Amino acid sequence: MGKAKRKHPDIEETLARPWCYYCERDFDDLKILINHQKAKHFKCERCGRRLNTAGGLSVHMTQVHKETLTIIENALPNRSGLDVEIFGMEGIPDDVAQSHNQRVLQQFAQAEAERRAATGNLGPAGGIGAAKKPKFESPSDLKKRLAEHKAKKAAEEATGISSGGNTPIGMGQGNQSPGLGQSPSNYVSHSMTLSMQFRLRSFDKAGSPGFPQQQQQMPFGGPPQNPSYSAFPQPYAQQPPPYQQPQSPFPPQQQNFAPPQTQGFGPPQQFPAQGGPGFQPPFQNGPPPQFQNGPPPFQNGPPQFQNGPPPFQNGPPTQFQNGPPPFQNGPPPQFQNGPPSFQNGSYGGSPPPPYQQNQFQPPPNHTTPQHTMPQRPGSLPPAPGLPQRPSFGAPPVNAFQMQQMHQGQLPGPPNLTDHSHNAQQQPGQNGGPGGPAGSGPPPSSLPAPLSANATSLDDLVSGAAKDADKAAGAVETKPQVPKVEEATEEKKGKKEKDKNMRLIYSDNEVSPEEKMAQMPRYAFAPSG
Amino acid sequence: MSTPQFELANPPNDAISAIQFAPTSLRLLVASWDKHVYLYDTSNAGGQLLNSFEHRGPVLDVCFGENDEEAYTAGLDWDVRRINLTTGAQTVLSSHGAGVKSVLYDRQHNILVSGSWDSTLHIHHLSKPSDTLVKISLPNKPFSLSLTSTRLVVAMASRALHIYTLADLASDSAASSIEPWQRRESSLKFMTRAVACMPNDEGYASSSIEGRVAVEWFDPSTTSQSRKYAFKCHRQPSPEGIDVVYPVNALTFHPVHGTFASGGGDGFVALWDGVAKRRIRQYQRYTTSVSALSFSGDGKFLAVAVSPGFEDGREGVGEGTVGVFIRELGEGEAKGKGMK
Repeated sequence: MGKAKRKHPDIEETLARPWCYYCERDFDDLKILINHQKAKHFKCERCGRRLNTAGGLSVHMTQVHKETLTIIENALPNRSGLDVEIFGMEGIPDDVAQSHNQRVLQQFAQAEAERRAATGNLGPAGGIGAAKKPKFESPSDLKKRLAEHKAKKAAEEATGISSGGNTPIGMGQGNQSPGLGQSPSNYVSHSMTLSMQFRLRSFDKAGSPGFPQQQQQMPFGGPPQNPSYSAFPQPYAQQPPPYQQPQSPFPPQQQNFAPPQTQGFGPPQQFPAQGGPGFQPPFQNGPPPQFQNGPPPFQNGPPQFQNGPPPFQNGPPTQFQNGPPPFQNGPPPQFQNGPPSFQNGSYGGSPPPPYQQNQFQPPPNHTTPQHTMPQRPGSLPPAPGLPQRPSFGAPPVNAFQMQQMHQGQLPGPPNLTDHSHNAQQQPGQNGGPGGPAGSGPPPSSLPAPLSANATSLDDLVSGAAKDADKAAGAVETKPQVPKVEEATEEKKGKKEKDKNMRLIYSDNEVSPEEKMAQMPRYAFAPSG
Repeated sequence: MSTPQFELANPPNDAISAIQFAPTSLRLLVASWDKHVYLYDTSNAGGQLLNSFEHRGPVLDVCFGENDEEAYTAGLDWDVRRINLTTGAQTVLSSHGAGVKSVLYDRQHNILVSGSWDSTLHIHHLSKPSDTLVKISLPNKPFSLSLTSTRLVVAMASRALHIYTLADLASDSAASSIEPWQRRESSLKFMTRAVACMPNDEGYASSSIEGRVAVEWFDPSTTSQSRKYAFKCHRQPSPEGIDVVYPVNALTFHPVHGTFASGGGDGFVALWDGVAKRRIRQYQRYTTSVSALSFSGDGKFLAVAVSPGFEDGREGVGEGTVGVFIRELGEGEAKGKGMK
């Protein structure tokens, strides 16, 4: 499916890709990016004129339309300001650029991990080291956890909060974009915090629960820390806005895995202590058991998730082992691992990073195993090598945005963001939940989406030019480009006759002036 | 930044039929249905009404003559007149058999062309005041005339269109021997509203009552003719999904950049790049129908005459609805951006 050439993009290449400050989308080259910005962010909504910069648009709005430009269209919520003058890649603030690079690196790691998992081709260093670690959790532990998980599930169902019920919702949202929309915003903040964490850690290598950690955990903090399952539901409900964003994706996780989480994640600080045992076991045991257990994917599923976080520390290796055997499980670990591996590089397995990653990525994983088992397999293969791209076309997004806007849930722009932000994550989501939702071609579509998006964008951009020569102008270009019709209008004219139109002046024989001249007050009788 | 546009004080009292900038100054002639021609100096904001010249009937067209002191008018009194703008002296050059819709002066050949609803053109050889009149019969009533340095385009009723060579018109040959260089049928399906020639003498644009503008080239070769096109404009979708189509009342080419402006019954003025097939810009909507447009000789100003058109079905003209706006164009504002 994938394009052979693009399967293994260099990290440098990936990092060098021009990307849009406003929506975090990346492009093949700067020209396309600039066109994108002109079309998506710097276009005058009144007359369709495409300006080069936000400032230009602002001036245009004031001068031409007497209006004040307040936000950039289609931008991420936190990027819609006018204060930054962006042109192509110029003008992007350092911190934003850094967090973007961070994200790209993460995604790259993810993609790599996925690719390896999918191809079974262990990375140079990754496979071996990781392979050994995963054997920490003993079978008994696993069983125990499984039991816990089941119990929890039962409890949840009893309380009316079936993970199944929730997950679907989560999935649905994720696919359609509410979820996505949220995730982007989360993502941004995460990436920010991540970068912050990185810096912090670089200073404090201990990887202790730093400030950032707490921040991130804050949202989830409630639930994870609560040991009791019954407690979970409540925290969700109670936790208002902050929680909610993460929630949609997360909730399923917590519910499903709650037990593990409490153990492994529970109190972040405790992590090191408990985590040691809790965590590492998964690694060592994790994979092996899974293989063996293979058949009971479900059961494994949970454990993996629980382990999920730990795997981060191990990075790619774990993925391989876990990934391939149980299809369902496969994907989740990969995602999680992807980023972790990255982080591990800097600080060795620290609890927090995994956690963060879980926040966005986990959702897909968790949900998938349980509900969308069958689809997974298909989804996996495609995901790996592909560059990260949204699987939806631009138009649907807009519609969605509209909806969201109306609902007041999300800022419209996020959708765009989603794509770019979640690019990698989305593949995962699409593969699992996304696929089902029908957000498009789920797994295999990954490559397709790419091209689809590219074309759609290109169409938009080049469309303007092309439309000039064709009668049917794209909606966007319409205002700017006069519709050109063959001078011999006869043919088209017939078509258009069907179209409803009302002539303000419909007399085709007598000119307006002649009619006016016939009016009494203009009457003139030559006197001589 | 203030609006680069001001409205002339002391506008005409009734609908405006034509406006024209002087070739070399910022003087502006305004012809109105209130039977007057007005002369403004627009070099200062608000403008200054220099003079007004009463006619026997509504004035349908006006143009500058050899210099800024001379003007020619045509009107419903069937007459074509010369007006000395300094003294106000009026001379009747000729009389048609019906209202005179348009009048044009060509400096190069020193001829004056007038077109009347009696389906004739009058060619006045101004250099030879004695036997000056050449009458050319047209198949239909001429609705709009336009000149280039070598051609005269006559847009008529029934979508007919004749293109004359000025040299023929300026020659001494008898009227009967003057044949149009080209006879064409308008490429627009509806009645031609206005026609305007490109300053580079290569072609012309015409507009119809059905919100459409066609751009065509003189060159009869197939390659040139294949370049012609038409586009829709000055329309507005109504809430019921019906396109409300306004007549395009005015067309005028920019003397420097070769782009053109269209003014429609919808009150919009738009600038177009006829070569690149692009709309350059559209100005904020005016309160009522745009009836006439004129670029200044240096192309730095655009005069926009608004007046409620007959198309609105309104019988009378309300107070304050007639006006002339002088819009200063920024550097390159009317310049086409070229193909992209």
